[in-house]
Amino acid sequence: MPPKRFDQARPFLTLIVIVIAWLVVPVVVKTFTRASFIELQAPITVAASYARDLQEYWTLRLHSNSELIEAGRDLARLTATYEYSVQQNATLQAEVARLEELLKLPAYANYRPEYARVVRRDFSGWWQQLTIRKGRNYGIPVGAPVIFSGGVVGRVSEVRAYTAVVELISNPGVRLASVIEGETQPISFQGGINATFDAPRGVIEFVPLSVFASAAMPKRLVTSGLGGVFPPGLSLGTVTKVEPSADGLFKSGEVQLDPRLSTLTEVTVLVPLNPE
Amino acid sequence: MRRALITFLTLFVLWVIVAQSNHALAGSHVYLFLGGLMITYAALHLPLRDGVIAVLLAGLLSDATTPVPFGLHTLLFAGAFAIVANVRDHVPREETVARVIVALLANLALFLVFSFALIGRGPAPGQVWPRLIVDLLCSQVALALVAPWFFALQGRALVLARVERDPLT
Repeated sequence: MPPKRFDQARPFLTLIVIVIAWLVVPVVVKTFTRASFIELQAPITVAASYARDLQEYWTLRLHSNSELIEAGRDLARLTATYEYSVQQNATLQAEVARLEELLKLPAYANYRPEYARVVRRDFSGWWQQLTIRKGRNYGIPVGAPVIFSGGVVGRVSEVRAYTAVVELISNPGVRLASVIEGETQPISFQGGINATFDAPRGVIEFVPLSVFASAAMPKRLVTSGLGGVFPPGLSLGTVTKVEPSADGLFKSGEVQLDPRLSTLTEVTVLVPLNPE
Repeated sequence: MRRALITFLTLFVLWVIVAQSNHALAGSHVYLFLGGLMITYAALHLPLRDGVIAVLLAGLLSDATTPVPFGLHTLLFAGAFAIVANVRDHVPREETVARVIVALLANLALFLVFSFALIGRGPAPGQVWPRLIVDLLCSQVALALVAPWFFALQGRALVLARVERDPLT
């Protein structure tokens, strides 16, 4: 029988062995282990999302015929409006292409929209991310922009066999080049303040001194299209506060992000058609 | 080894439940963290080798699905496991209340260490604490509610797998 003192120290000796083993294990082994555990849990997460979809389907089946007729009528009106917008868009795109050709301008990056259901939302104080139900099987690349009807959702941070992880713009680690709508000077945007029961917020830095915004007079913040994967003009949020920063050369401020970011059920991944 | 795998399976069930709860709570910006529950039963009841294996597997599972340095959960769980396993002879571990208190304390410690490790990445670390405190309170309440059921589940799973005797027979 081992001495009592040694027996008491066994858990800590085991811990030391684990830490040393973790430090010496090759990265290849760790990467393989991580991938194995990701794919171990993936079917469960995806199955849960299919179960939710089925639940929603049966909920919708309970609607009466008159409600469905009403919804169909509203949808037809919406479709007519969108058809008109599509025609206008085609005309404008042709005009842009003609001007690009005439002025020898580099063409905007083209994207293929890939719609994906959200299978899991993680909104902690430490990180914010979504898992979507499309991955390598749909050609989703790492870094692709992800959008929804309210603007930018985030960017793809990890692609797996059948799922992908989207890092949200509210995540503390996300930095983007942005501009105030109608202006040209780029501003640095960073996500990160996510209070409970409140809309997510981000911060902006290097705001020109000429910019003024407040909760009563908010300004829209959009992507600049500079030095990143996001096309220009996509909505990021609303600037509700700017104040001079400590150095006095610029201002810094707060951005209110779309509150729907934390309840998304479907998003669109913009897959670049000519990745460089 | 079978004991470790059965315990890991129960931890996997807990992980799925917590992930689905967090998915549902995302709209309210509330996040549950039940790391303390992952290690308590294994540290208090299982032999050291089986307990370590189960906890390490649970840590790897948590690491694989979160954007943290791979191994953070694993090493933190292993550390918490070592501390609880070291004091288990001084804890009335057959009593559910004692187990729940150990789980609450372990969860509090893990949550705080985790927060200090990750909070520096944001633009305004000081402003994140109110959110983290609310998350911690919600997590502790959820843990206190779920823990008795989960300990019973782990105990019954080991009995059903015939690696432990049914205490009722």
